[in-house]
Amino acid sequence: MTSKKRDQEKNRVPIGQLRTGVPGLDEILCGGLPEFSFNIIAGAPGCGKTTLAHQMMFANATKERPALYFTVLGEPAIKMLRYQQQYGFFDDAKVNGVIRFVNLSQIVLDQDLGAVLEAIIKEVEASKAGIVVVDSFRTVVRKALGAANEAELQGFVQRLALHLTSWQATTFLIGEYVEGELRDNPVFTVADGLFWLYQNVERNSIVRKMQIMKLRGQTSVPGLHTFRITDDGLQAFPRTFGLVGESGHVKGRRRLSTGISKLDAMLGGGIPEGDSLLLAGPSGGGKSILGTHFIAEGLRLGEPAIVAVFEEIPAEYVQRADVLGFDFATPQKEGKLEIIYLRPLDLSVDETVHEIVNSVKRLGCKRLVIDSLAGFEMALAPGFRADFRESLYRMIAALTRLGVTIVSTVEIEEDFISMNLSNFTVSFLADDIVRLRYVSINGQLRKMLLVVKMRRSGHSIDMCEYQITAKGMVLGEVLRGYRGLTSGVPSPLSASPDGDVPPIRIKAEEDPSG
Amino acid sequence: MRDVAQRLLATSQVVAGPDLHEAVMVSERLRIPLTRCIGVDGFASLHRRALLLAAEEVPALQSARIDGEGRLGGLERSADAAGGEAAVVLVTHLLGLLVTFIGAPLTLAMVHEAWPEPPRADKQSTPKTAGTETVR
Repeated sequence: MTSKKRDQEKNRVPIGQLRTGVPGLDEILCGGLPEFSFNIIAGAPGCGKTTLAHQMMFANATKERPALYFTVLGEPAIKMLRYQQQYGFFDDAKVNGVIRFVNLSQIVLDQDLGAVLEAIIKEVEASKAGIVVVDSFRTVVRKALGAANEAELQGFVQRLALHLTSWQATTFLIGEYVEGELRDNPVFTVADGLFWLYQNVERNSIVRKMQIMKLRGQTSVPGLHTFRITDDGLQAFPRTFGLVGESGHVKGRRRLSTGISKLDAMLGGGIPEGDSLLLAGPSGGGKSILGTHFIAEGLRLGEPAIVAVFEEIPAEYVQRADVLGFDFATPQKEGKLEIIYLRPLDLSVDETVHEIVNSVKRLGCKRLVIDSLAGFEMALAPGFRADFRESLYRMIAALTRLGVTIVSTVEIEEDFISMNLSNFTVSFLADDIVRLRYVSINGQLRKMLLVVKMRRSGHSIDMCEYQITAKGMVLGEVLRGYRGLTSGVPSPLSASPDGDVPPIRIKAEEDPSG
Repeated sequence: MRDVAQRLLATSQVVAGPDLHEAVMVSERLRIPLTRCIGVDGFASLHRRALLLAAEEVPALQSARIDGEGRLGGLERSADAAGGEAAVVLVTHLLGLLVTFIGAPLTLAMVHEAWPEPPRADKQSTPKTAGTETVR
């Protein structure tokens, strides 16, 4: 950096930032709301504009920085107060103290823009408001447009912005706008910040997204971010997954045991720490059981773990592990294992990852099993399924950045012509791929495991038979003497029955990890 | 809210007991902060509803009217017991409606704006509730 540039940076006026009070939104805004900015909150009815404004106002209103909320012809103030107080952020001790609601409907109905401006200025000056909300500004403009021309309207918006900024107020104008109005509307030209909220019905699910379309004075995370309206108000799920500022974990050389020593050997010593391993196979092939082995081994070594399940409830998962001889209930109680059950049908990937990332940070998690990607996809709102592949890429990148080693299961619709690696074309996302496969040999449907890919190391190219026993997965011998094993319908290399591999025989007392 | 209504009426008391004129004074005093917050129409409609409910209990209120600004009118001054009860019932209903819609804390916050100094509890006629409900 040149000294001139350093001087410029030193002399640059600092722009203070206000926290929004909306989880996730400060990250999208790269720190918070620019102080004294003049902002628009736009979107269709019912998408959360008023709630967002209330949440930001309640988060920021103090004795030193009181807030004024002007209501204009939209939702009657009494109903707004009735509904907004249902949210967790609403603090009735602030109402009529540091937060005041002022109804401008009569002035807007009876008078012109000048009178509206005068009323706002008078109230702001009298209260020394530091936060100002006009809800709905659209109705002010719509009413005004009947009498005033566009130049008058522009003058009004400019004077309003100028006055409120000079008065050191951070302002939010709420309006039911459509994107087509962006061009030529003086309100958008004057605004420093433009928050656009969307609400789309995708088949039977509601998908809510927000976008910071404009933000003067500072950067923001571009693109559409999903959000949800909960009992505590809005919660945003930034595309950056709450990882802004995280340095990122450099993948080490350590190998994580799967809990099955023969598989570890095939993987070249285990799964490299920080890798994402895709465990692909047919229904009933033992994917979840292998995931359970991986978690159990981590817990045995004292490594906190998370399982994200979509197809069974946590209690069932614990019970199934118990049947295999793994005690998951105790580490769950001790906070070393978290089983996250995500089943709502309108999830976004970002929301899911947010949940997982929070748990990873809370537990200091080292191992994560996602069981399964198919269940994950089904849990998403249809609108998010279109972006599933891209979202998975971001999710896996985010989680491995935290140093977590991920095993994801994916169900394959088996055919006997080819050998798919996944139905989602997501195999490129995985550092390592293990494929489970049914093979038809001598009138038996037997199971075969092979390591398809290891990004950072060599691995076995053997195709091993395995069985699912009462103690879990047990790997057997390499299936030799066949051609076309990957097709699932191999034929013996020689016609002699000597070439056949006998099925694995497992003693009852045999250690499954042996 | 009857207790609060009685205390508000007590602050406006000019004769021995509450009468309808005091109901006018109380509602007028509430009208200013409420109109500021919920608008003229918002206050006027609430006041009309309160009057309707109160008139069902106290026939003396049937001649009363709420104008477009939300002001209470059309009442004859009456210092008898019936007038006093009518005033209490009307103000109680007005406050009760507010509580129904926005809850007691916000209602009391608005009352407090109209009466920054809490009405003195010792002025009220029902000592059993004195001091049990405070106006912030």
